[in-house]
Amino acid sequence: MSLIEVRDVIKEYDTAHALRGVNTEIEKGQWINIIGPSGSGKSTLLNIISGLDAPTKGDVIIDSVNINVLKEDDMARFRREKMGFIFQQSHLIPYLSAVENVMLAQYFHSMADEKEAAEALGRVGLSHRLTHRPSQLSGGEQQRVCIARALINSPQILLADEPTGNLDRENTKVILELLRKLHAEEHFTIVLVTHDPFVSQWGQRILSMEDGRIISDQRL
Amino acid sequence: MIYEALIIGLKEGFKLGIVWLVFYSYLALNNKKHLLKAFYSAIVVSFLLSAAVFFIQHDMILKDAISGFISVSLAVFFISSAAALYQASGVNMLYPFQGQVPVSDESGQSTYPLFLKKWAESIKHFIVFTASVIFFAPDIAGSIIFLKELSVMKQDALMTFFSALTGYLLVLMLFIVIIRYFRTVAIGGFFSLPQILLFLAIVKLLGGGIKGFAELSLMPSVQRGFMKLAHDFIHQIFVFLMVPDHPLLTITAWNFIGFFFGSSFASIASLLIFLMLPFTFIYYSLVKVPGASLFDKEGISEKTGAQKRKIKSMLLSDRRKKAVPVFLFVFLILFSWFSEKGGDAQMVYNPKPKPVVVENGVVIIPISDPSMNLMDGRLHKFTLSHDGKTIRLLIIRKAEDALSVCLDACEICPYDPEGYGQIDIDLICVYCNTPIPLESVGDAGGCNPIPLTFSVDERFVKIDIGEILKKFEAVKIIEFKEAK
Repeated sequence: MSLIEVRDVIKEYDTAHALRGVNTEIEKGQWINIIGPSGSGKSTLLNIISGLDAPTKGDVIIDSVNINVLKEDDMARFRREKMGFIFQQSHLIPYLSAVENVMLAQYFHSMADEKEAAEALGRVGLSHRLTHRPSQLSGGEQQRVCIARALINSPQILLADEPTGNLDRENTKVILELLRKLHAEEHFTIVLVTHDPFVSQWGQRILSMEDGRIISDQRL
Repeated sequence: MIYEALIIGLKEGFKLGIVWLVFYSYLALNNKKHLLKAFYSAIVVSFLLSAAVFFIQHDMILKDAISGFISVSLAVFFISSAAALYQASGVNMLYPFQGQVPVSDESGQSTYPLFLKKWAESIKHFIVFTASVIFFAPDIAGSIIFLKELSVMKQDALMTFFSALTGYLLVLMLFIVIIRYFRTVAIGGFFSLPQILLFLAIVKLLGGGIKGFAELSLMPSVQRGFMKLAHDFIHQIFVFLMVPDHPLLTITAWNFIGFFFGSSFASIASLLIFLMLPFTFIYYSLVKVPGASLFDKEGISEKTGAQKRKIKSMLLSDRRKKAVPVFLFVFLILFSWFSEKGGDAQMVYNPKPKPVVVENGVVIIPISDPSMNLMDGRLHKFTLSHDGKTIRLLIIRKAEDALSVCLDACEICPYDPEGYGQIDIDLICVYCNTPIPLESVGDAGGCNPIPLTFSVDERFVKIDIGEILKKFEAVKIIEFKEAK
């Protein structure tokens, strides 16, 4: 059953064509990796799926809701309820501790719960780093805080844009193993954008893009 | 246009309008608009019942009864509000019924007993109808009595009732426009059953007075009621101890004891009583963390942490929203209490007695002269000398067309102090601070001023000196005891 449907999505920036008619469906609970060279449109597609950007033409349907017709407030609420994000940069608040960064996500969703936030950090192996600030954490640990923050509100979809782009191979592996474990436990859908062939092998499906088009759709 | 009648019409119209607005919004938001039929029926019935008051000969007993009914209805809504709050806190007050007749709904959960479920809609209609009649009928009846008295005084019944009706319809039309053309449903989000009942009690408190300008609100009568309660309670303690308090204790002692049934104490104590429930609401809404039972109602025990947080957040947000009107009630009570009647209640009016003379064995006092008017509702005092005795009298208008004439003394307290003063419209004993409601002035016995038989014509009040001397005998004995 499709959770995400992308129908004839075109995205144009003045004279540049970022997406040239993308069509795909992503099943519920699937881990799909979008790969391609720089400028192929993979991040643009991720941004459109997340509602952070709007297509010039076409529709994105998530859980039977056409997100392109949602008003700004409704889109924000929809995103808050259904999606979690991980980016290449951690975007953690520097003056808040690890647990407070996770609690902030809880607060914007509903209300903060320190115990639950601490448990979430425990699941990503950071029980001993709860009160540390981002500057006191390594790059890999920061990304693990980001995973805890992204999953704290039990999203249906985890959207990850180059989540291991700043990490060495060892830390990349740690993060991907963690994602695999959590994905197996919580059955959320992962849409991960990467240009790293090593990372792309960790999912269940690879969507290759080039020049704003899907050029291959491979199941692993 | 008669201004006083117009104001009464505006006040009653506003009461109906604001209750209608809140109730309408609440029902619309909760998809229960069908209950409005019962509300509208109750308004019609309240008017019909009240109209009957216009056609029957009314007296003080009827007026007292209606006044009492208004106070009782205030208490009913106030106490019901507390009960509804208790129920909302998770304690099911209907449990005793459920225990008797256990039934289950489709999900297998125990719910209301069968006989209640079968008649649920009828019972809801009946409750709305009865509560609305209890709320509106005595107030409308009280206003009609006031207007009737006003029309006699103004000698223009048609204009009096026309003015009142104009005020009433003006406000009502305003509310019709508000309900019809504005999105009032959102108001309903600030109310659940406890808040609705508290709201009704507050409206009753702030606008339930039936003595025209003298008492637009019920606050003065609440204060008087508390003063009387405190007075009777303290006296009962002396009775229990078999101590003859009035003759035995000095005025200094009474000044201390009297503080507890004085106006200042009554004002603050009754205010605290009224604020107790709103503060309980605020505690419940903003401070107290919802218990597990409250969440169980939402069936979230099996849900994820995020879902639990969301439901908890919505519950807390809803409760915070419903605390908003309660804060407004607290503000309204405090503002009205101290700005309008609360301050007045503490000022004792005690006029200097005017000398009168005895002509042919009769004391003759003009009803009106350039310096005074006995019908103005204020306390008037007079003094006369007879056989070396100085005797004080008091006269006060009791009803629109009736005066009370008494000695400025009771059968219990010493005569030496100044007898009685006036607080707001009622009297108070200067010696022991006992409040004497205006309605009871003229009744003999206890702490009341000793009533005198008198006659009155269009211009004068006439009192036989023999009557004065005979009644003054009782006072003299107390004066002698105190002197010893």
